[in-house]
Amino acid sequence: MTRKYEWEAMSSQPYILVAQDLRKSYGPRLALQGFSFSLKAGHVLGFLGPNGAGKTTSIRILTTILEPEEGHFVIDGIGSEHPDQIRRRIGVLPENLGFPRQITGLEYLTYFGQLYGRKAAEAKENALALLEVVGLQQRAKSLIGSYSHGMRQRIGIARALVNDPVVVFLDEPTLGLDPRGQQELLALVRRIARERDTGVVLCSHLLSEIENVCDDVVILNLGQIVARGSVGEVIGRVQQNIILQNTLRVQVPPASVTKARQVLKETPNIKKVTLIGEMEGWLQMELINATNENSEKDIQMNNKILGALIRAKIPILGFEIEGSRLQDVFLHLTEEVIK
Amino acid sequence: MSAIQKVNKVAVSKIKVSESTLPAWWLVFRREVIDLWIGGKAFNLILIYSILLGGMVYVYSFNTELSLIPPREAVYEMLKNAMAVAMFVGLIIGADSLSGERDRATLESLLLTPANRRQIIVGKFLAAFSIWPAAYVIAIPYLYVLAQGNEVLAPALFWGAITGTVLVIGYTGVGMLVSFWSSSNKVSYFISLGIYALLLVPAELPGKSAGAAGQFLQWINPMAAVNHFLSKHLVNYRSVAEFWTWLTSSVVLAVGSLMVLLIIGSGLRLEAGRGSKLWAKLGRAIGVSVITALILVSLLLASPASAFQGEQDLTISIDTEYKQGKTGDKVEFNTLVTNNGTEASPPLIVAMNIINLDAAGDVVDPEDWSPQRTQYIDSLGPGESTNLGWIINTILEGNYMVYMVLIPEPAGAETTSQAVASSGIHLTVAPFTRLNPRGVLPYAIGGPLLLLVIIYLVYRRRKQQIDMGGS
Repeated sequence: MTRKYEWEAMSSQPYILVAQDLRKSYGPRLALQGFSFSLKAGHVLGFLGPNGAGKTTSIRILTTILEPEEGHFVIDGIGSEHPDQIRRRIGVLPENLGFPRQITGLEYLTYFGQLYGRKAAEAKENALALLEVVGLQQRAKSLIGSYSHGMRQRIGIARALVNDPVVVFLDEPTLGLDPRGQQELLALVRRIARERDTGVVLCSHLLSEIENVCDDVVILNLGQIVARGSVGEVIGRVQQNIILQNTLRVQVPPASVTKARQVLKETPNIKKVTLIGEMEGWLQMELINATNENSEKDIQMNNKILGALIRAKIPILGFEIEGSRLQDVFLHLTEEVIK
Repeated sequence: MSAIQKVNKVAVSKIKVSESTLPAWWLVFRREVIDLWIGGKAFNLILIYSILLGGMVYVYSFNTELSLIPPREAVYEMLKNAMAVAMFVGLIIGADSLSGERDRATLESLLLTPANRRQIIVGKFLAAFSIWPAAYVIAIPYLYVLAQGNEVLAPALFWGAITGTVLVIGYTGVGMLVSFWSSSNKVSYFISLGIYALLLVPAELPGKSAGAAGQFLQWINPMAAVNHFLSKHLVNYRSVAEFWTWLTSSVVLAVGSLMVLLIIGSGLRLEAGRGSKLWAKLGRAIGVSVITALILVSLLLASPASAFQGEQDLTISIDTEYKQGKTGDKVEFNTLVTNNGTEASPPLIVAMNIINLDAAGDVVDPEDWSPQRTQYIDSLGPGESTNLGWIINTILEGNYMVYMVLIPEPAGAETTSQAVASSGIHLTVAPFTRLNPRGVLPYAIGGPLLLLVIIYLVYRRRKQQIDMGGS
């Protein structure tokens, strides 16, 4: 089957974005190679990777800002050889997007609405609705120069939605936001995907963001995909290959850290207790005689440790087995490739 | 109904472009013009420009020496300077148009829209060019007051509009081309200002057009060539038919820069220049060639050697090509006598001659006009030069040609020598009139003040449109 027919066949699937074998290099440096993935409508796909992994390059290729040297992609049935038509179907919040300062949020969105072919009145109506979506309706007539960083990220997301896109690309949308701002923005991303049935590609280096928001994940390292699938699949698949470090983590209130450490040191089967997050109260325990197979024996051992803390009346805020979080998978995968 | 559902309802025209929607170039142009003018950059530059013009009018009016400048020359000088400033502003705004957006990270969102790249370029170009009509309108009252009712005003306004438009198009286009290929705004400004200076300096140098090479270099410099055309036509009463070819370089620059901009504009991207290596190499080669050529031109024009070179062993040249003044003016100039031969010259005599061009070439007796009719040089060694200073007092109004003749002293009674003539000074003498200072001052101060009032009103209206609340 030629590539053309192959793509026609793939486009008939319920995917709104299909990328295959994308490749890009900057001089001798390979930025992206064999980059293939797909995205369904209403799904949020996370792009994960350390700095220089190729996340921004891949987004720039998919948003037609850069041309791939090899490979092809299709968005909403339109092939990458038609960048003008693709631009009508996508919305983008680039990393470090700049804004004109002497223009109001409403004028900004109206202007972009018109650039996408809307009439002035319609563009303005749409802009007002979008400002409401991103919670900026009260600041519609304020100059963007007076917006906080979080507000600018929101107006950037509104701009990305101005053409009612099929796929939205968000490159580090929570960068520089405080924890509340991050949570609110991620909730907005989820709403956009669910309520508008829009596919969202979320590029981030914050693993908790991806884990909480994304349905699927693509992990990139040195320009290559090292894992892809649903978040659960990726974690499960990698867990099978990770040699666990016989490690547990437990979170207690910061005021109880000293007492918890004392209790855990006195508990059998614990080799070592380390404080890993003083502010958050995370303690890490290295175990003796763990089977690493999630066996009945391991579960009993974990219960005994938690029981010791409960008996000492220490509240348990969190509990993790190493390898169960996306963070562990990410570190394992990226470290492996670097090695 | 949730807000998102509302958006979906509004977004029924998704992707489909209505026939009645505005073209992208117009949208970009309108947005850019608002940013430029409401954002303050254009108003600030225009305010500085009007203060400069006001200052010039004031200087012309109150400076004793300069107040004797005839209206024709004053109008020409004002027009020349107004155009030079407008070209500078166009170049600066053009230089910022693309690389500035790259630096401010605002270009990417524009490139992500389906707007045609070429239309984006056109919109930005027109916005950058919008400075010129405003600058021209602001210059009109100053030109009017300097003209003092002289008939020069009409042709000055006409030719100023035409040549200024052509030059500002050319310079704005060059600024945008530099911006297109510049990796940062600093680089773009640096190169653009360098080009401006390299073209401005030769245009302002005295004795720039002596010799065929000098004339040619002046002809290919758009700014210098237009200045030459305007001075000949407005000051020296010369016809357009005689000097229209001096507009060629400015038209070529305007048309050329616009065409290149439109051709490469389709490849506008986030990075500097075009994507293909061929275009990148071509752009670099063109840039290096243009800058090298401009440096060579400015060096050649700035070099006195170009003004005084000749094939004969003995040469004489004058450092002034033309001069306008009023009756009673003192005109000073220098002649350079050079022995290009391999042997020492005999004693030399330099004689001044003045011809009345309005009276079919009648000879004017220089006795009343100059304290020195001749000067004597003992001898000049091989390669040696000497500079002689001359003074003329303009007595009568009219149109004159002043030229010098260098006469080697004959070796004996039965020998003669070959006299060498210099190029002439075209001297135009107008009757004495003085600008009315009281009539000038309101224009000098009123122009910038009026502009300040306009700026204030525009900003006040803008403030009413926006919510000034902080974050």
